[in-house]
Amino acid sequence: MNKNLSKVIIQIFLISFVFLALGPILWAVVTSFLPLSSLTAKPIDLDPTKFTLTNYVEVLDTSRGLMSGLINSMIIATFTSAVALTVGSAAAYALARLSLPGSNAILLSILATQMFPGIVIAIPLFIVMSRLGMIDTHLGLMFVYLSFVLPIVIWILKGFFESIPIQLEKAAAIDGATNTQTFRYIILPISLPPLFATGVFAFIESWNEFFFAIILTRINVKTAPIAISEFAGQYRTLYGQMLASAVLASLPVVILAIIFRRFILEGFVEGAVKS
Amino acid sequence: MGILFTLPAVIILLAVLAYPIISSFVLSFQDVRLAAGGIVTEFVGLENYMRIFQDAAFRNAFSNSIYFTFVEVVAVTLLSLGLALLLNHPLGRPAIYRVVLLIPWALAPVANAVLWKWIYNANYGVLNAIVVGLGLSETGVVWLGSPFLALNMILIADVWKAIPFITLLLLAGLQNIPRHLYKAALMDGATTWQQFIHVTLPGLRTTLIISNVLQSIWALKVFDLVFVLTKGGPADGTVLLNFLSWRVTFNYLNIGYGAAIADVLFVLMLLLALAYIRALRPRTSARK
Repeated sequence: MNKNLSKVIIQIFLISFVFLALGPILWAVVTSFLPLSSLTAKPIDLDPTKFTLTNYVEVLDTSRGLMSGLINSMIIATFTSAVALTVGSAAAYALARLSLPGSNAILLSILATQMFPGIVIAIPLFIVMSRLGMIDTHLGLMFVYLSFVLPIVIWILKGFFESIPIQLEKAAAIDGATNTQTFRYIILPISLPPLFATGVFAFIESWNEFFFAIILTRINVKTAPIAISEFAGQYRTLYGQMLASAVLASLPVVILAIIFRRFILEGFVEGAVKS
Repeated sequence: MGILFTLPAVIILLAVLAYPIISSFVLSFQDVRLAAGGIVTEFVGLENYMRIFQDAAFRNAFSNSIYFTFVEVVAVTLLSLGLALLLNHPLGRPAIYRVVLLIPWALAPVANAVLWKWIYNANYGVLNAIVVGLGLSETGVVWLGSPFLALNMILIADVWKAIPFITLLLLAGLQNIPRHLYKAALMDGATTWQQFIHVTLPGLRTTLIISNVLQSIWALKVFDLVFVLTKGGPADGTVLLNFLSWRVTFNYLNIGYGAAIADVLFVLMLLLALAYIRALRPRTSARK
């Protein structure tokens, strides 16, 4: 085939890909700046002079639930990631380096966690938490989020720890360091970038979670996704506000994903293929 | 020593995973009622499971889920494969295209649902504006108004959201295929198509199986889209198994029966995963 022609065809495909991937998002972002009267005009009125921040101002009003949703999501996602990193890094290190009885079984069960429908664990957890009074608490939701965040964190970090040259630890052992000291003073400091990036991944997963949140929260701990779904579910849907809330709640994780793209692309995705 | 390192993680996973899974199994043999003082349970044997076989709502959700999962896996695999090949081409290499992929991936599923709710909106949605503008329909279509069409519209929204991650997986897989295989094929006079069939596809085998496992499991778990777009309607046309289990448990408060449905879904996923793992096995052992 003619070389130039095939180049043109590939460029056309690339442009349509960008258009199809970003078009729907761009459409939501643009229309979130329009007043209801423009949105419900036929055809839709895209007059840029009518662009307004009204939708954003209205959804951020403290009476509307999005603000507290964003705060709740921030608290829950931050703490979930922090606990998952602390507990998960130690476990990952042991699985990567220390001889451990039943380590294969642990690894298998970590893989198996990807196969549970959330509903299987949600029903019993709902019952237990009702009894313990943990429904609609930050702590309750954090705890449940560890069920899907912790396995991923262990899995990613194990892969990373295995890639550290073992000589480092051997040298430390010769100097008389215990496993705990080696882990604390040698392994953790050099692992800060991947630890941080894994934390970001855990953060995104917890921030976006909806299913457990709708079951295990009521009023006090509504998360950002719950707030969005409420804007979308109202009888007379306020389209602009629904879109503005989705844009606001997506912004933090999309920015994180862009900043940490190198890690997500190289570390996580390729790790999944190789292991 | 190692045990001390893993102990906290193991305790947490036992509490939030192992215990609930066993408990869910036990619950599925019980009749569970929310009474004034708390939760009352009564052993009913296989009654919940027997009920599944007679329940038209279950049969409907089951066939919806099978259809949804099958079409989703096929569509996502084909489209992602095409896209991965495109982005693996020298012209598709610039990093900006990877960033474009990450944005829909990072989006919260609920935000994705809102996005499509707005696009599909029968009165003001851009999809109808396009359809009417092209003269395909005079008044536009009520996209979420009839059962089967609504299911397919949810499918499209989910496929759109799933493609980025699977494409990234396949791209990583493509980059793992040794270059010299292509050179050898080229020297043997293989055409582009022959290279694809005899080098690319076999090289991607493992990655394709992994991505199919993940995609089937995710398709069986779909909830957010159904919740925001249709709440299962119209006429239960978009009720998938996960949604049914949620509705039975938390709307109808039929906890034991909900647990039984959840367990059936769990077994379904497990069987799927085992089938894929079996498919993976012969080649990997041969390679070693």
